[in-house]
Amino acid sequence: MLSTIAIESLKRRKTTAILTLLSITISISLLLCVDIIRSQVKTSFTRTVSGVDLIVGAPSGQLNLLLSSVFNIGTPTKGIEYKSVASLKSNKQVSWLIPLSLGDTHRGFRVVGTTNSFFDHFKYGDMQSLEMAEGSVFTQPLSTVVGADIAKSLGYKVGDKIIISHGLGSVSFNNHDDHPFTISGVLKKTGTPVDKAVYVTLQGLEEAHTGPKLSPTSMLGRKSADKANEHEHEHEHEHEHEHEHDKHTEEHAPYNSEAFTPESVSVVMLGLKHRVTALQLQYQINQSKKEPLMAILPGMALAELWQIMGNVESLLLGLSGLIVICALIGLATMLLATMRERYQEIAVLRTIGAGPFTLLLLIQIEAMLLTTVSAALSLGLVAGLMSMLKPWLSSTYGLFLSSPLFGQSSVIIILLILGCTYLVSLFPAVAAYKRGLHAGLNANS
Amino acid sequence: MNTINKNNSTHSQRNALEKECKTAIEVSNLQFSYTKESAPIIDIEAWQVSKGEHVFLSGPSGSGKSTLLNLLCGTLTPTQGDIALLEQPFSALSNRQRDKFRARNIGVVFQQFNLIPYLSVAQNINAAVYFAGAKTSKETADAQLRHLLDKLQLPSHVLHAKADALSIGQQQRVAIARALINDPQLLIVDEPTSALDTDARDSFMSLLKDVAAESTMIFVSHDKAMESYFDRHCSMSELSPCTNHVKASGDKTQIVQERA
Repeated sequence: MLSTIAIESLKRRKTTAILTLLSITISISLLLCVDIIRSQVKTSFTRTVSGVDLIVGAPSGQLNLLLSSVFNIGTPTKGIEYKSVASLKSNKQVSWLIPLSLGDTHRGFRVVGTTNSFFDHFKYGDMQSLEMAEGSVFTQPLSTVVGADIAKSLGYKVGDKIIISHGLGSVSFNNHDDHPFTISGVLKKTGTPVDKAVYVTLQGLEEAHTGPKLSPTSMLGRKSADKANEHEHEHEHEHEHEHEHDKHTEEHAPYNSEAFTPESVSVVMLGLKHRVTALQLQYQINQSKKEPLMAILPGMALAELWQIMGNVESLLLGLSGLIVICALIGLATMLLATMRERYQEIAVLRTIGAGPFTLLLLIQIEAMLLTTVSAALSLGLVAGLMSMLKPWLSSTYGLFLSSPLFGQSSVIIILLILGCTYLVSLFPAVAAYKRGLHAGLNANS
Repeated sequence: MNTINKNNSTHSQRNALEKECKTAIEVSNLQFSYTKESAPIIDIEAWQVSKGEHVFLSGPSGSGKSTLLNLLCGTLTPTQGDIALLEQPFSALSNRQRDKFRARNIGVVFQQFNLIPYLSVAQNINAAVYFAGAKTSKETADAQLRHLLDKLQLPSHVLHAKADALSIGQQQRVAIARALINDPQLLIVDEPTSALDTDARDSFMSLLKDVAAESTMIFVSHDKAMESYFDRHCSMSELSPCTNHVKASGDKTQIVQERA
């Protein structure tokens, strides 16, 4: 009966009830959105790289190294000499090694110079390997493999030729037009920055940079460039038939991208035979006297980065929480404001037997009803909104929404809001209770 | 009302109490004032109403009629003195006990009927059943409700109509139905005929006397012409001769709120 009275009472005050409902729904939705994006970003964040035990680069900072190597954000660190790379490769503790050369772009997307070991060893999410949606890994020095988002947004397919640009700007006038790369493969979507990167061979990248166009950020060894030049020079003096034959062989023989040795690379990712030796090797690398190097543990660097982002996220969550509190105070104000016009109703209920506690309960049921309906509407609204924005979030921000959308934190938020509703509705409920104690027959007169 | 077979324990207890009780209301040394400093508005040395008696209580506006009714209902607490209803020390009961007692034993018909406008007729009447805590089955409650509506000459289709969609006459009848649904032993009626013309008033009184024949009734009005319908007439000036009558009801409301 109490819930019937509460529902009918709210229906009677339809306009104010709907406005209050809307206000609470919007604020709960906002809070849920912030929470979902926070948790999804965290999930997306932690799945960016897995299985890489150490990342080695020139000494800069752990975040800078992580951002440039894993997230393709920021300025790459100064390169490390290949002899250091070779030394790491020969270390007994190292199982595999991925060299990365950074600093160029293609139509605003980062270009990463690497070897086929990247496609063999790089893992994301729960140790998931990279897979080809189309084509294959590098087949020749001027091969390129593009991420899923690039292929989709730029409409690329295997066999297409692309030109890379010097530097990191989205618009560059320094294009390596004389070295077009042929797309040999398109990667499957990963939901990580891999989707937005163009992978080229270290050899191809070095060839593109030969001559006066050496970039300080993507510095590749002149030694290697010279080697490439020598290679070209030899070609000039060979018979045309032989040249044709060589090209033919190049197209059909499996290409060994590891064989090429550049003078330097930007970063190296390491996989160890035993993960427990990671700290020991990190210490050894950081103490290296041959060349100053810095090794970071990706997990720790990610945790540090998340801690920084966590502050912003907490601020957003706090602001959204305040908005919800404001909406709930609005609810209490609405109930309090209607108390005056309900004095007669309270007096009637009191005289037909409703005790002051029943009146208190009645007002609280009304408040709880409004908040519960708002919470249900918010869950529906946020689910709908997220499903609508899913493609846009993934394409624009690289945020991949995974199921389930609502987690434990969403449940806690809803319960907290219901608890707050209980507290703020005490004000009008106590007003009704007090009024109830003195409600008389002539309350309307 | 008594023709309906009621098989619940609450009702059996009430019937037993009814048989034993001879005095419905007994007031002794009753005083009430809205503030500690002010002189009492109600000051009744002794007053008794026998069971089944229909009493007409009159007095000018501000003479304390409604305050006395509030005291009899338990929505106000006496400053001093005792009220016994159905030989129970009503004024000594706790708030919760008083609420229960009122819901089960006292029916109230308000001056302006005071139906809850957004509830249907059935919901208005059932609310009184619910707050009384009656443990009747739905079928018995429905039968009781329909019997009462028949007696009050209300068509059954009004049951689902909202209270504010009814005519004044229908609202009157629904208010009576709500007051009588729990078969109260004491019926308090607060100036329900003040807005009615003579014919409508006579018709209402006949109906009320008929349906409340077995209850004790306190009927408040300032219209002395209605005295003839009742067994006894009590004037507030005789009951409470030396009191500080409040002249404006607005002042009274303010005082009540200040006390709260």
